[in-house]
Parts: sequence; structure tokens; C-alpha cells
Amino acid sequence: METKGRKNLKQVVEALIFASDIPITYEQIKGYIEDTTVSQIRHAVEELNLEYKQTDRAFHIFHVAGGIQMVTRESYSPWVSKLFQKRRKAKLSQAALETLSVVAFKQPVTKTEIAAVRGVNCDGVIYTLLERKLISISGRSEGPGRPLLYKTTKEFLRYFGVNDISDLPRPREIEEILKEESHLSDDAIK
Amino acid sequence: MKELDLEVAGEFILMAATLIQIKVRMLLPKSEYEEEVEEEDPRAELVRQILEYKRFKEISESLADMEDHQRRLFTRSWFQWTKQYKKDEGISAEELLMDVTLFDLLSAFKSVLENMPKETVHHVATVGVTIEEQIDFLLNQLSEKNRINFRELMVQLKERVTIVVTFMAILELIRTHRIRVQQASAFGEIWIVKQ
Repeated sequence: METKGRKNLKQVVEALIFASDIPITYEQIKGYIEDTTVSQIRHAVEELNLEYKQTDRAFHIFHVAGGIQMVTRESYSPWVSKLFQKRRKAKLSQAALETLSVVAFKQPVTKTEIAAVRGVNCDGVIYTLLERKLISISGRSEGPGRPLLYKTTKEFLRYFGVNDISDLPRPREIEEILKEESHLSDDAIK
Repeated sequence: MKELDLEVAGEFILMAATLIQIKVRMLLPKSEYEEEVEEEDPRAELVRQILEYKRFKEISESLADMEDHQRRLFTRSWFQWTKQYKKDEGISAEELLMDVTLFDLLSAFKSVLENMPKETVHHVATVGVTIEEQIDFLLNQLSEKNRINFRELMVQLKERVTIVVTFMAILELIRTHRIRVQQASAFGEIWIVKQ
């Protein structure tokens, strides 16, 4: 068996990524191939992506949820979406997106804290998000009644196509919003 | 009939009360000795809440865009695995349990409880009175008084089952022509008399 600097490393990495149905990490790939390093694998992925680009392939390797995964390029979505039309889940509702925003930036967070920001009860939405595995229960708060705490999941990262929670756009500071608002009302007066 | 949603009603009342409180605090003159303490504008809390909501609302809009974009990208998936996986098909427990959350565990527990074979228990109590006893009771009453008021008779009987048995006793006595029932007018008092 070939060991160091195996010639077909790029193909082996490609095969693993191709066959995986979930984002696979560099560490995982390393575990499947003897005598390789993460940087070698990283390099192989870069080379593969370059090749795909040069040969104008319909897919590439995408970094998401802390791993890598093959995805079709956006320009082919008109056709591929037809293929999946019937078995795709519905888009998230406005309420679900708002709840997710609060969980993402305040996690771990209780139901009451989420409801306080949104001004409405969130029980139903939280249940849906749990069911779709976009959030999960991370424990209990030490506060009165020891309510459940919620956090976002890996599926959340995958769903929105980010590698890490820090890749999300950050909420603006209140002062910033205020500045803009007053600017807008000044304009209105003029 | 439309059911009253207490949750929604409660939220509405809270909002209305908050607005009224703000209005009242704006209208009332400040007491003199309180003036030294710098009082926050009562509207500030509401404004803070709205701004806080706006922050997350903006984020939710970005998330919607990201969702939209992501829905146009398609990943590879192993459909056979997602459709029907069985434990003995060479899939390790680790792989099977990879995505399991506390929520899944709770849902599983709930469905186990719901699917448990139900033990149906009927509680059957023996009836403390018999029709014969109530016939004797009625005839006794009638030998003391000329007539019995039906409503008053029923009122003194405490249990539902006694009322039913007594009523059956009355029917039996009527059938065997031992008593008669009289009513002066429609919906008037019903009197039981000896035949």
C-alpha cells in the first residue's frame, strides 16, 4: 500500500466528499486515509475546486457547518430545483426566521427571552424549529423555574450555508439604528 | 362558538395597559420632591423594546436572503439511507444516533407513552337502593300524608342513582295502579296521590 505522498490522494479525497451525504470535516477525511495531514487534504480540496472551475463543472466543494460538501452551482438551480420540487421542505416563516435570529445571537436563550424580544408567544415556532433540527435544547437556565435553554445547531449552519456562527451578519447596535432613523426623519423634514 | 384565546387576550391587555400607563405618566404633573430624581421618559422602555426587535428583524431579513440563496444550491445525498435504514444493514449505532437530540428523545418517549396498550378500567359501584325499597318508601310517605309534591320529593334525594331508582319506583306504582300523578296546569307542580 502506498503511504506518504500518495499519488491518488486527490482522488481519494474527492471520492469521500462525493459519497458523503453530510458535510464531512478535514479531520474525518484524515481519519480514513493513512499517513495524511489536514493541510495535505486542504490542498487537495483546493486543487479539486480549481479543476472544477477550469473545466467548468456544474458543482464545486463548499465549506459549510464546519465541514465540506459538494454542491451544484447556483446557475443550475432552475433545472435542479424542478427535480426536487416535490420533496423539498417549505421555506421558513417570518416568525421562524425572527426566532432563529434571536436564538443565534442570544444563545443559550430561554423561550421567555425570545418572546420578550418578539413581543409574542413563540411556543409553536420553537416546536417547529426543534422538529426541523435548526435549534436544540442545550440545558436548563439557573433562573426561576429552571426553564429550558435553546441553541442553534449544525443543521442551522448548513441550512443557511455558513461555516460558523461568527459568519452570520451581526445585529446593528441600537445607537446605529437611532442615528439612521433620525437621519431619515431629518430628510423627511427637508 | 369561538374559543377565547387567553394567551392572545392576555398579551393584548398587557399592551393596552402599558400604553395607558405611559399616557397617564405623561399627563400627570410631577410631584415636587420627585423632580430632583431624574425620571426616565416613560416611552423610553417601549422605544428600547421596539429597537431591540428591529435589530433582530434586520437579521431575520438577512437570514431569509441566505435561505433563498442556499435553496438554490443542491448537495449530494444518499437517498437510500435517508429513506429506509435498519440497524442490521451494517449501519453502526453511532451513525444512527449521530443527529439525535434531546428533543428526539422526548418525542420518542411521548410516542411510547401514547402507544402504550391502554388498560380500560370500569368502576362499577353497587346501587345502594332498590326499586322495591323505594316503592315501600313512597307508599309509607303516602300513608302519612295525602299527597307528595314531586319536586320536594326529588330535592331530598341526594344521589343521582337514588333519584333514578325512585323515579322508576313511581313509574312502577303508576303501572300497577297504586298511585296517580296530578298536575293542575302545564309546568305546574306535580302531585303524587294514592289511588
